[in-house]
Amino acid sequence: MSKETKKPFRQSVAEWRQFVYNPNSGEFLGRTAKSWGLILLFYLVFYGFLAALFTFTMWVMLQTLSNDIPKYRDRISSPGLMISPKPDTALEFYFNKSDAQSYAEYVSTLRKFLETYDDSKQSQNINCTPGKVFDQNDVAVKKACRFNLSELGQCSGKEDKTFGYSKGTPCVLVKMNRIIGLKPEGEPYIQCTSKEPGAVEINYFPSGGLIDLMYFPYYGKTLHAHYLQPLVAVQLAINSNSTNEEIAIECNFSAFKPGVRTSKYETASCCRCCFKLP
Amino acid sequence: RLSTSQLEEKYGTSIDKGLSSTRAAEILARDGPNALTPPKATPEIVKFLKQMVGGFSILLWIGAVFSWISFGIQLAQGAESAFDNVTQLASTSWLGDQRVAPRSFHTSVLQQALVIRDAEKKEMPADQLVVGDIVEIKGGDRIPADIRLIAAQGCKVDNSSLTGESEPQSRSCDFTHENPLETRNIAFYSTTCVEGTATGIVINTGDRTIIGRIASLASGVGNEKTPIAIEIEHFVYLVAGVAISIGVLFFIISVSMRYKILDSIIFLIGIIVANVPEGLLATVTVSLSLTAKRMAKKNCLVKNLEAVETLGSTSIICSDKTGTLTQNRMTVAHLWFDNQIYSADTSEDQTTQPFDQSSPSWTALSKIVTLCNRAEFRPGQENLPIMKRVVVGDASETALLKFAEVVLGDVMNIRARNKKVAEIPFNSTNKFQLSIHETDDPNDKRFLLVMKGAPERILERCSTIMINGKEEPLDSEKAEAFQTAYMELGGLGERVLGFCHLYLPENDFPDTYTFDTDSMNFPTSNLCFVGLLSMIDPPRSTVPDAVSKCRSAGIKVIMVTGDHPITAKAIAKSVGIISATSETVEDIAKRLNIPVEQVNRQEATAAVVNGMELKDMSLQELDEILCNHSEIVFARTSPQQKLIIVEGCQRQGAVVAVTGDGVNDSPALKKADIGIAMGIAGSDAAKNAADMVLLDDNFASIVTGVEEGRLIFDNLKKTIAYTLTKNIAELCPFLIYIIASIPMPIGTITILFIDLGTDIIPSVALAYEKAESDIMNRRPRNKKKDRLVNEQLAIYSYLQIGIMQSVGAFVTYFTVYAEQGFLPSTLLGVRVDWENNAINDFEDSYGQQWTKYQRTYLQWTGYTAFFVSITIQQVADLIIRKTRRNSIFQQGLFRNKVIWVGIFSQIGIALILTYVLMLYWFVAVPFAVLIWVYDEVRKLFIRRYPGSWWDKNMYY
Repeated sequence: MSKETKKPFRQSVAEWRQFVYNPNSGEFLGRTAKSWGLILLFYLVFYGFLAALFTFTMWVMLQTLSNDIPKYRDRISSPGLMISPKPDTALEFYFNKSDAQSYAEYVSTLRKFLETYDDSKQSQNINCTPGKVFDQNDVAVKKACRFNLSELGQCSGKEDKTFGYSKGTPCVLVKMNRIIGLKPEGEPYIQCTSKEPGAVEINYFPSGGLIDLMYFPYYGKTLHAHYLQPLVAVQLAINSNSTNEEIAIECNFSAFKPGVRTSKYETASCCRCCFKLP
Repeated sequence: RLSTSQLEEKYGTSIDKGLSSTRAAEILARDGPNALTPPKATPEIVKFLKQMVGGFSILLWIGAVFSWISFGIQLAQGAESAFDNVTQLASTSWLGDQRVAPRSFHTSVLQQALVIRDAEKKEMPADQLVVGDIVEIKGGDRIPADIRLIAAQGCKVDNSSLTGESEPQSRSCDFTHENPLETRNIAFYSTTCVEGTATGIVINTGDRTIIGRIASLASGVGNEKTPIAIEIEHFVYLVAGVAISIGVLFFIISVSMRYKILDSIIFLIGIIVANVPEGLLATVTVSLSLTAKRMAKKNCLVKNLEAVETLGSTSIICSDKTGTLTQNRMTVAHLWFDNQIYSADTSEDQTTQPFDQSSPSWTALSKIVTLCNRAEFRPGQENLPIMKRVVVGDASETALLKFAEVVLGDVMNIRARNKKVAEIPFNSTNKFQLSIHETDDPNDKRFLLVMKGAPERILERCSTIMINGKEEPLDSEKAEAFQTAYMELGGLGERVLGFCHLYLPENDFPDTYTFDTDSMNFPTSNLCFVGLLSMIDPPRSTVPDAVSKCRSAGIKVIMVTGDHPITAKAIAKSVGIISATSETVEDIAKRLNIPVEQVNRQEATAAVVNGMELKDMSLQELDEILCNHSEIVFARTSPQQKLIIVEGCQRQGAVVAVTGDGVNDSPALKKADIGIAMGIAGSDAAKNAADMVLLDDNFASIVTGVEEGRLIFDNLKKTIAYTLTKNIAELCPFLIYIIASIPMPIGTITILFIDLGTDIIPSVALAYEKAESDIMNRRPRNKKKDRLVNEQLAIYSYLQIGIMQSVGAFVTYFTVYAEQGFLPSTLLGVRVDWENNAINDFEDSYGQQWTKYQRTYLQWTGYTAFFVSITIQQVADLIIRKTRRNSIFQQGLFRNKVIWVGIFSQIGIALILTYVLMLYWFVAVPFAVLIWVYDEVRKLFIRRYPGSWWDKNMYY
């Protein structure tokens, strides 16, 4: 091996320039124009073919899928819970009942959310038999059950336009995630607990946090277009003697009344909501 | 040069009494013990650290540091890391890198020397010797230090370990040459006294001896980077270059897509890290170790792992003659009697001799050979083959004894029947050896006088010559015939001996006659010349074949020896280093009958260069010789000259392998790109300096080594191609994730599962791949042009197979999401919401709502599917990488069983990692098949249209 001496800088620059464009052979980056043309053509064809193949296999794959229900539903076996309004920061409510500005956003979100439940939007929905699963497997056009806003009581926004925020009794709507084909057994209900017992009084609308079975099962976006998922409103009445400035609430979903827990749906714990008081 | 008394004065000693013990102790304290300082060993911890930060490992370390930085950034942000690149296991780098070869060859037995001290002869360990000591040596001893002889009787030393001369040199008290290496009155440390006795003054001890100086010369020669190290470095640059440019490109893209700068930096780091082939270093080392082990089975012990590959890229082999090309023992090669030259069998395991033994002249000659010989077999070796038996006696006598034993049978018995009555041993003034025997014929009462010696001296003493058993007068015509034969045999580089005999007349020499060897009361002239025998240290039988294999592999074999040019040339011719048709300048001059100067040097393909000529040569002249002649023999070279020759070859850009056994070879061994020492004949110094040791001293093993070396280069290429491919399949998801904002298709841990889990065994398995055809008919690779990782390899792996794999994996990815409810169209641009912890009602294409945890769970399913499909396609990748040119079906799908072990392990590991869920295993299968088919088409076109555009761009 001969000893490699360090190339002078100018020479290596010249070599680079030579590499970038070599006027003698007309080579640009080590290839002539023709060579570049060929190689680009090759890759054009190659990638064109691959793209076509990709599209084709994807198309074949999509053909195997149904339009109405996904092939597998094993990754969402139990439903999750979600609340509205959903604060930007990780589920933390921060408001001052005397400052309308501090809860204006929550109120407008709730209002917007409940718009879809407005009676005028539910004209196609039917009144279903409460307490019974509304099985429509044999029906081609699946009907949606009507969800009456009055069920939400004080949290329906009809009597109290600020959903209780101005009185220091904020409402939060809890909804259960839609999952196709899910049929709860027993009587599903939502239950919220506070970390500090006695600091807060919790009211449920409908009472007991019950979700009626008639809203199940869900048949999917295409078949069940006007489906509205049932809501449970949770109103918090914070004890005025509470010294805590922060109240953490945790809501759980259970398909059974307490004490009968043997089902495949255990509890789906929702978001822990945290109310920060001034 | 000095007289004895001057010597006494200079070294403060006395010839008779020696040094006093106290004085000796003083000098010993001053000079240190008489032993060579072993080469400085690097401390283990330094070696370990070097290993950890050297070359490729540094890439892993940088990757690890980057991972920590990005982890730190993400931690500081408080967000759950989008891709936790924390576990870059750089530790794998040195896991596999345990050097396999033994570290030293210290087998030196404590040597004793006979010293005169305090006027007494004492036996003491040789390392206690000091300058001025008077030592006595006898035949068989190793010379304990550099000694100036002051008395010698028939002393001969074997300098082969020092100068490479195969013949013992006689030593006397006379000063004969200015050069201490040439003069007769100095015997050197570590050489052996073959016969005779001598007394001398120690003039140098320890590292100051000639051998010590050579050893230090060797340690002064720096180690060069091995070609494979250079290739790996080049590979690191390439990978780093690709990683950084893609990283920076996507950094710019993500910044312009309004990602946060911090996020973009994390992307940048992630891309760089995803490009690091974590498993490769382990794979390379394991491959090298495997090959080293395989070579050890074939008698090549590899000391330096990387040397395995170096041998494969070797373009010039500088071979020592004695012991490597030859058997390192004198053997009878030719006979001349009845005016005719006969060839004898010189192979290693001769049992019979094929030449015509019917002539009565042969009977007479064989008798002389048997009787006029002082060599004897050591007793108790009757069961050994003749050639393996140990003989007491010098090299030529041994050769003759073994020859006679092979042809005639029990020599000792013949000698017993022909009782020896008188003998004059060989000495340099007479240049003959003579003995007188009774005959074994009871009716023949005559004595038989037999004589052997230098042919011209023997002829002088003869008046008749035996032709076909009859004594005929020795006329000028017959003398001419003798001359011709003598010249011819001499020209073959063989040592020629003449044999004659005389039956002493019964009348003058009755059985009671007492022969007196001092007064020579018997005739020593007018004898009857019987024949000539010539001996040579014959080439090993496997060498010519090996040399021709080297030739066809494009490797130039140069002989570098300390021996005489004539002998060297003869051996070179007989092993094919100088082929039959080629001529040296001198040969041409002789043929055309013109002076050497007028010969066109370009015409001569061969050259024999004498060490003396080399001395006067400039470097340019040497370069010219190395360039212009394809067949070169260097004779009578010194250790320094060997070094110069090696450097000369390296200047030509060649990768040079040097073989050698002696201490004199060690500088060249060290300087060479790969030094190969002889295991049996080799000295410790040579073994220490070498990268490889041939345990059977057989040149043919080198050819095996070359083949293995080339194979490992090819296989490494395949391994790297295999490893690089999936890098793209691991990188693409990340790029698409950034650009299209889809949920992350593959996680870092999953990537590591591939890199360090499923892919390790298959890539090692490629090291077991058999050679594609023509591996030994190719020219050695040009180390400047034929890179391990060339443009074609990178492009083919990255831009073609890699992209195909990515497409296949993405189809699987989209399938998983689509079948779970997220059609491809809904996935685009969802990244921010998808990864938002607060969104627990993420809606899919069917109106279902997903919590964050459910989404993550689905994402993990996606990881698994992506992982599985890469694995499946890597199986196809593994199969196509078995060959680069041949079809898989030519190579044989099942010839390399280890590949199948690799495939099954790959699938097995994947099964374990996915908890034996066979879901989504088959989505990528069509793409795996496509990869195979596409590669077969590529290979078909390469074979069908060599040199075409396709070949140039697609063959790696």
